[in-house]
Amino acid sequence: MTKRLKLRVIGRSEVLPRAVLELAAKELPFDLEFELVDSVKGLQRVVTSPNTFDVYHQWHTVDLIWTARAIQAIDLKRIHNGELIKTQAMARRSDSGAMGSVFNQLFVQPSGAIGAAPTGEIVMLPLLHGVDAFGFLPPVLKEWPAGTPHSWGWLLDRRLQGRVAIMSDPVLGMIEAALAVEASENMRFADVGNLTIEEIDTVADILLHKKKLGHFKTIWGNYQEAARSMQRGAVLQSMFSPAIAMLRSQGVPVISAVPQEGYRGWHVDLCISSAAQGEQLEAAYQYLNWWMSGKAGAVTTRQGYYFVLPELVRPHLSEAEWDYWYAGKPAQTALTNPAGKPSITPGEMREGGSYLERMSRVRVWNAFMDEHTYLVRRWREFLEA
Amino acid sequence: MAKAKASVSKPYYQIVRETLGANVENGNLPTGTRLLVSAVADRLGVSRPPVKRALELLADDGIIMPLSSQGYVVGAAESPMNPARTNLHGLQLELPVELGSGLGQASWERIFAAVEAEIMNCIPFGTFQISEAGIGDYFGVSRTVVRDVLSRMDSRGLLAKDRSLHWIAGPFSARMLDDAHEVRRLLEPGALAATLPHLDNPALAQARARVAAVLGGSVALTQDAVDTLEADLHVDALRLVRNKRLAQAVQLSQISLVINRLFDTYIGLYEENDMLREHALVFDHLLLGDCDGAAVALRYHLDADHARARARLKVLSVFDAADIAPYLTRIH
Repeated sequence: MTKRLKLRVIGRSEVLPRAVLELAAKELPFDLEFELVDSVKGLQRVVTSPNTFDVYHQWHTVDLIWTARAIQAIDLKRIHNGELIKTQAMARRSDSGAMGSVFNQLFVQPSGAIGAAPTGEIVMLPLLHGVDAFGFLPPVLKEWPAGTPHSWGWLLDRRLQGRVAIMSDPVLGMIEAALAVEASENMRFADVGNLTIEEIDTVADILLHKKKLGHFKTIWGNYQEAARSMQRGAVLQSMFSPAIAMLRSQGVPVISAVPQEGYRGWHVDLCISSAAQGEQLEAAYQYLNWWMSGKAGAVTTRQGYYFVLPELVRPHLSEAEWDYWYAGKPAQTALTNPAGKPSITPGEMREGGSYLERMSRVRVWNAFMDEHTYLVRRWREFLEA
Repeated sequence: MAKAKASVSKPYYQIVRETLGANVENGNLPTGTRLLVSAVADRLGVSRPPVKRALELLADDGIIMPLSSQGYVVGAAESPMNPARTNLHGLQLELPVELGSGLGQASWERIFAAVEAEIMNCIPFGTFQISEAGIGDYFGVSRTVVRDVLSRMDSRGLLAKDRSLHWIAGPFSARMLDDAHEVRRLLEPGALAATLPHLDNPALAQARARVAAVLGGSVALTQDAVDTLEADLHVDALRLVRNKRLAQAVQLSQISLVINRLFDTYIGLYEENDMLREHALVFDHLLLGDCDGAAVALRYHLDADHARARARLKVLSVFDAADIAPYLTRIH
């Protein structure tokens, strides 16, 4: 008997909820081995050992893994609806704020570099994207006059001392902290997604000071920890939308902020290992095309993620789901999270509005900054303080 | 493991210990020769601490014996004891290159390059604390020498002291790369153009042929090949710069070479055609005797290489340094 083909997939736990893993296992004609890695260890593995995986759900590091030759170019002709990606890229070139980061580093240019000009090859298959902000519990609003717009500055506000949590990830954590510093200290950084050494110092010094004052209750690592943090007394904190879906299904009335300064945008895309070839490569393309069917994207929609080609997930969503998650309308019926548990009650409306309203309010995209090593040095200082 | 080359691979006291041991074994240091720390240090051209340590270890091994008065004597305990006050400068000793090359150099110079290379190899990965005592032990040199080395590195901007006055190195930032590049693109093309009249055409032609061989595939793209090609253009072609200040400033600005080398070590060598074609272009101008063209081509190469080094530094920032010198401690 020949050995059954096995596709090895690496991704974060947020992107690959159990319902997606089960669906993939059921629908794909080969075995799947999912490795859920929430820390920088996943990236280290991908960069150093492309032979240990076939497919990687990357986020904000595609330039880096392309430089490291850990991934190979994806032939758009082999992707179902691949032309749509190209069309989408063309349509959105003028709309760089809302979709910029997804399409700016997508196509393989004739020089071998990555760029925005559409070609027949892409370095990653764009799948999921969305916006993040902090989340909070209703009593927080009592600290401000009624109608005060939500602000990233709240993360550092003295009124919430000892009741705030932020995430431990240095890349995202620093971006959120920088947004908070801008708002609370009334300053402006040239590019929040690519801070200079001096700007990193400014943010880190404020964070350290706040930590020593006892401002932060917890620092969390993944969405499950984020949900626990709020159950244990944090009233305002950095948030991933799966944690919001989880908390709501547990009856915690968490509110997802709509900060006046804008959101932190993110996207998660599929990359194929540079080492994949033969039947592994075939299976990798099958996995990518399975995602392009929109079925998995429908599952992750229920935790608040958007699919880059929304029309592909629409057939797999109920009308009520589409209207709530994408159209920004009040829920016509009770809606469930990916685990099938109730998470949205009838009449609820998504904070921030429709898909386009929310996406067009991105202030900064997740990004691996040029001064990453320096950033990590100061961030660890903060974590260890 | 391949990385920026360190000129000293083992501690000085070990080199001294092995040198003395070998010379005892082959009879250059006859049984009964009296060995005083100061005399041995003077003969070998090294400082006293490594000699003191080496002599202690040789005594532990039973190769030499402590004298009740002062110093040691060659020979085991059972050998007949008649310590001879020999002038060590009169003995023909076999000395390794590590010691031979040290003759006439100030103590700090011998270890500077090694310490610098170790630090440069680590800081792309994070921040490190440097132990003065650790360097002293490792190289067998005094604190005075260590402080001399570190303060010279400090003046080159490689180190800083933190609030508790510990020496800190790193992290290697994109800013460091940018700053070095800015200086380098101003200086190196001019330095190269200035050397052209003194350059030897056959040597240039050979260097150009080495680029062609790798580009054409007749010579494999290996780490050694890349090292040679980089040295051809960025070290050897500049060797004849008359202005030593300029030569030193150029060398100090070439830190992106370290990043490229570490990237090749940790990630691997792949296609380097852009770099090869840029090198070829510079050599073609040099071979024609075209100073201005060579300078322009070199500036283009430095800019392109800077972009590559910046992208590579980002990849390295994901890693932990695999091997670090014992006198360095990672702090972040």
